[in-house]
Amino acid sequence: MQKSIPMMMILPSLALAIGIIGYPILDLAFTATQEVSRFGQLRGFVGWDNFAEVFGDPLFWESLWRTGIWTFAVVVGTLGISMPVAMILNDDFYGRGLARVIIMLPWAISLTMTAVVWRWALNGRSGLLNATLMQAGLIDQPIEWLATAGTAFTVEILVGILVSIPFTTTILLGGLSAMPQDAYEAAVVDGASGWHQFRYITLPLMRPFINIAIVLNVIYVFNSLPIIWVMTEGGPANGTDILVTYLYKLAFRFGQLGKAAAISLIMFGVLLIFTMLYVALVSRNDTDAAPDQEDEADDHV
Amino acid sequence: MTMSKLTRSVLYWLLLSPLVVVILFPFGVMFVTAVRPRDELFVYPPTWGFSDFRWENFSEMWVKTNFGGALMNSLYVSISATAIALLLSIPAAYAMSRYRFAGKGAYRIFLLMTQMMSPIVLVLGLFRLMMSLGLVNDLNSLVITYAAFNMAFTIWMLQSYFNSIPRDLEEAAWMDGASHLTSLVRIFLPLAVPAMVVTAIFTFINSWNEFVLALTMMRSSDDFTLPVQIYAQVAGRYQVEWHHVMAGTVLATVPVAIVFSWLQRYLIRGMALGAVK
Repeated sequence: MQKSIPMMMILPSLALAIGIIGYPILDLAFTATQEVSRFGQLRGFVGWDNFAEVFGDPLFWESLWRTGIWTFAVVVGTLGISMPVAMILNDDFYGRGLARVIIMLPWAISLTMTAVVWRWALNGRSGLLNATLMQAGLIDQPIEWLATAGTAFTVEILVGILVSIPFTTTILLGGLSAMPQDAYEAAVVDGASGWHQFRYITLPLMRPFINIAIVLNVIYVFNSLPIIWVMTEGGPANGTDILVTYLYKLAFRFGQLGKAAAISLIMFGVLLIFTMLYVALVSRNDTDAAPDQEDEADDHV
Repeated sequence: MTMSKLTRSVLYWLLLSPLVVVILFPFGVMFVTAVRPRDELFVYPPTWGFSDFRWENFSEMWVKTNFGGALMNSLYVSISATAIALLLSIPAAYAMSRYRFAGKGAYRIFLLMTQMMSPIVLVLGLFRLMMSLGLVNDLNSLVITYAAFNMAFTIWMLQSYFNSIPRDLEEAAWMDGASHLTSLVRIFLPLAVPAMVVTAIFTFINSWNEFVLALTMMRSSDDFTLPVQIYAQVAGRYQVEWHHVMAGTVLATVPVAIVFSWLQRYLIRGMALGAVK
């Protein structure tokens, strides 16, 4: 009886997660092997046909390639900015509370709203970004930011970086605030310069947090639909399509459900790899307050 | 080399200023467009200036775009999803924090994995599931999916806070002959209220901001939640009423942004305690 108590406590949450997250995966796996009509009727087993169709589709490969660029550029850009920002926010200075609130602000706004506002701000004729640049005398003709795939995709990457900074900074701040101060004091005594302190103390100690920030960001950015969907819907001419936007179009615009299911499964596989990486990183340093680890839990507080 | 706090502050603010400007820029765009007269939207050359503040834009927008309806839908979905997620997470987080049991490690990994599964990858499967349950175009489909997708986060946040509540108090109650259930309800839960409130608010904000599932499951405009409703005024329209759209985004985001700003340090703390460490 005693033993079943914790089981009963986790059972409801487990059931919901299996029903809403587990079942659709199985359904996708099944759908991916079926011929599916435009209206979602399954027309029988076709084996790997849907996958063959996906792999024979140049738009899939273009989207995959762009997904790689999108994920890499956003994650690298985000980390490059978040690291110095976190180090600044971890230090004591006037107005730090305000600075933290401002830096965290994009996190509070839904990606959809952010993307809608940027879509208007980037309007080729009357957008306020053009207004700013023209009034500052930097350009004398408005730029059609979203009209060509190249500039549109670049701008989307920059917006992607902007909205990923708060979360990443938060993780890095968590790491910095747990940093042992005596290491720095010893380094100062030994005459280490600021750069040396960063290179030989901060970076190695921050390694686990940076790893987690990278893996989590890769997962989130890889999966992120709203920015590109709202700003360009993958256009012009599929020029900004990444896997998620292409998948969404196939499923809900073109009615190619079998193909869409196959892409979902491929993405699921990629995600699974990154998730296992993440699980491995996290479970390396995990604690709880269960009785056998009481001492550990105490100095945790 | 040590700097005075003042020098350091000036230097830091200078370093942060480009980022601060880029972060605040969209907010400026929102406000300036939302209060602009309609015929000053598409002027050439584009400019930040405008002739007068038209606060009526907000009331016009409210009526014309059925903002109130979408607001109620968003509130209903976010509140219900938060309630369900918390109701299911509290016992689970308690079990994870206080008991040793077979499969605990496996359950933790399972939760981590569900957290990583984004709605977009599953959206087709979820849509088919909701079709078979007859829940397409029903706000409750969003309620249960949001609850499910947020649960890993809520269990995790709650567990990390529960770990910081000392066991001694409950153990003392057990000594006095209280059952586990009594000690849970009378001793533990009152202490856990702040953690639950913070977790609830973040779950609420997550649900409030969700886009992909709402876009997919809600097919009729009466059932749109705010993000979808605002998106629908922009997408595929020849003539976009940008002053109304921006007035809508102001109303939909500013209250949430204020609450979030006020609570963000708890999020940092919770993540430092549990999610990351």
